[in-house]
Amino acid sequence: MSGSEYLDAARLRLGGITLVVLAVLAAVLALGFDVDLSRLITWGFVTRSLEMATPIALAAIGGLYAEKSGVFNIGLEGFMIIGAFTTAGTMFALGGTSPTQGHVWAAILVAVAVTTLLTVIFAVLLIRYKADQIVAGLAVWFIGLGFAPFAAALIWGSRSSPGLTNINELALGQSPLVFLTIVLVGVAWVFLYRTRYGYWVQAAGENPEALDTAGVDVNRVRYATVIFSGAMAGLGGAVLLAHAGNFVGTGSTMVDGRGWIAIVAYLFGNYNPVGAAAAALLFGALDMLNVQFQTVGIEVSARLVNLLPYVAVLVVLTIYGKTRIPAVVGEPYETEE
Amino acid sequence: MSGSGPDSNGGALDALAARLLDASVLERVGIAIASTAMALLIGFVIAAAAGYDSIRFANQLLVGAFGSERAIARTLRSTTIFVMTGVAVAVAFRAGVFNIGVQGQFVVGGFSTVISIIWLGAFVPSGTVGGIVLMLFGTVVGVVAGGLYGALPGVMKAYGDANEIITTIMLNFIATGFVGWLVAGPFGAPEATATRTRRLPESVELPQAVFGDPNLSIVGILLMLGVVALVAAVMTRTRFGYDMVTSGYQDTAATYSGVDAKRMVISTMALSGMVAGLTGALFVIMIQGYYTDPSGIGNYGFDAIAVSLLAANNPVGVLPAGLLFGGLESAGSHVQINSDIPVQLIDGIVGLVVLFVAAPELFRMFAARTGLGGDAE
Repeated sequence: MSGSEYLDAARLRLGGITLVVLAVLAAVLALGFDVDLSRLITWGFVTRSLEMATPIALAAIGGLYAEKSGVFNIGLEGFMIIGAFTTAGTMFALGGTSPTQGHVWAAILVAVAVTTLLTVIFAVLLIRYKADQIVAGLAVWFIGLGFAPFAAALIWGSRSSPGLTNINELALGQSPLVFLTIVLVGVAWVFLYRTRYGYWVQAAGENPEALDTAGVDVNRVRYATVIFSGAMAGLGGAVLLAHAGNFVGTGSTMVDGRGWIAIVAYLFGNYNPVGAAAAALLFGALDMLNVQFQTVGIEVSARLVNLLPYVAVLVVLTIYGKTRIPAVVGEPYETEE
Repeated sequence: MSGSGPDSNGGALDALAARLLDASVLERVGIAIASTAMALLIGFVIAAAAGYDSIRFANQLLVGAFGSERAIARTLRSTTIFVMTGVAVAVAFRAGVFNIGVQGQFVVGGFSTVISIIWLGAFVPSGTVGGIVLMLFGTVVGVVAGGLYGALPGVMKAYGDANEIITTIMLNFIATGFVGWLVAGPFGAPEATATRTRRLPESVELPQAVFGDPNLSIVGILLMLGVVALVAAVMTRTRFGYDMVTSGYQDTAATYSGVDAKRMVISTMALSGMVAGLTGALFVIMIQGYYTDPSGIGNYGFDAIAVSLLAANNPVGVLPAGLLFGGLESAGSHVQINSDIPVQLIDGIVGLVVLFVAAPELFRMFAARTGLGGDAE
């Protein structure tokens, strides 16, 4: 009891500190550098931040469900790459270089289906065959980094696709996928904290024996969450592509660490879907702030600014040390017959 | 990890451990071969499905890895790096500390080596002796930097209770991003078109091996063998190594025998980081000659995790496992030039090897079901 109260207090303090830091930053910019804040914080900035945040938020929600249930899905990045590529490939197969909006939606569905199927295999390896979660997750990343550009090279003769199309805005200049993400964040929160199934997920990660005693199959809960996490990461990759409009498979691909940032986001959000989405938005805005800085003529290295989430999560983990990692993450569960 | 319970009879326990070890060595070799074979097989099927000649592809892999003196030299060059980073991972995993941050420690070590050599190069006369001084100095700096960067998550775990898997992953990104920024900005070579630091002085050069490959030195190969032997000796023959391995099997047992768990975590991470830093130093001195953006440097530190697991975290077993990864990487360079198959296929195959290595149970169950492989426990 007091533990969770302490946690709430810690989280509130963290949120408060974040707000204070943002306010100080704004004040420094406005007074110290004589920057017109209204030029810095524009509607376009909000739109770009939301667009940047959605893929991260989607993958983060998937990842936190898996980890809540006791399985660390470190392969989010790989599943995102596969999701993004599958979306581009499907779009191209359906409509060539000028797919319609219908093709875009169909491609997103196909991408989610494909990543879901692949995650089933991944889940079987993790749960039934007790694969090392860290190494298997890294393997998914390598497989995505290898096979997605390979397939792209087969289709387009280069590791990147030609320009396809991006999704049309729905309202307020926002893509429908942004609204979809907001809805999914809400649903994920309600499901996790207000339904019986959500408690099963939490129990599978905190006290699997108790869940087993209560007559719920722990591994079945874990299968569900791991498959869900892969599907959400695939959706995240698909959304990323639908916003960008073409696939880039050079270097670390267009996903470029967003799957890892998703892990940072849910740790930052303390495994709460709303918190994870808020962290994703914070990181998305941070990323886009680089663009804003350039337009108003402030010289800051985008590369350094983008390291802030990683540094922040290290500080949070070490100083607070209280991001509650579920008790049995990483341990396969053996039913006692 | 099979944590066998405490036993009062030390002799019987040792005998049991030795037998388990023998069995697991054979078993691990079987699993390693099966993982590799299965990954390659899937790779060939994919190549065939994509309309390429799989037999030719297989042949090119072999030729590219071992087919000529040049290929062998290239394979050995990558192998040294994979083996040494693999040893860095093995040290930590053996002690039950999951250092996923070898990539970051490798980058920090290598970059520090380059910068320190360039800095000292201004004060040291050119020539062989000057070169040796520079290389020794740079290597020490690389080892210290890698060790410190490894000790950091150790301290965070010991005193802040921060999970080392997560912190080391984050530190990888921080190392890549920060060094990338340094290379592009403050330490960038003004005259270079590519993003890189200035070159190391001419005098910084290791003697070549028997093959005429400028990027492979007999010193590198000896260093690799030396590190393997040294780490194996530390693990099996010293008090420190014994405490470390005991902590890995059962930390309560280690605590009862007087091991300070906090200091053990930090020293393990430091040792692992030092080996990674040493590898970084060798990488820049023997192969690269300068530092580039680390995001394009290769996944040595990540693949090293697979190398170590393939070897059951045994420093000696890391040698053949590293050779496999070195061979695949070398074959990749060959395929890229001599074939129209997109070379990313090999990256994918490496990913599959890693995936299967992660799931030894898969093969154990298969062996048990088909009656192969004798007694599956």
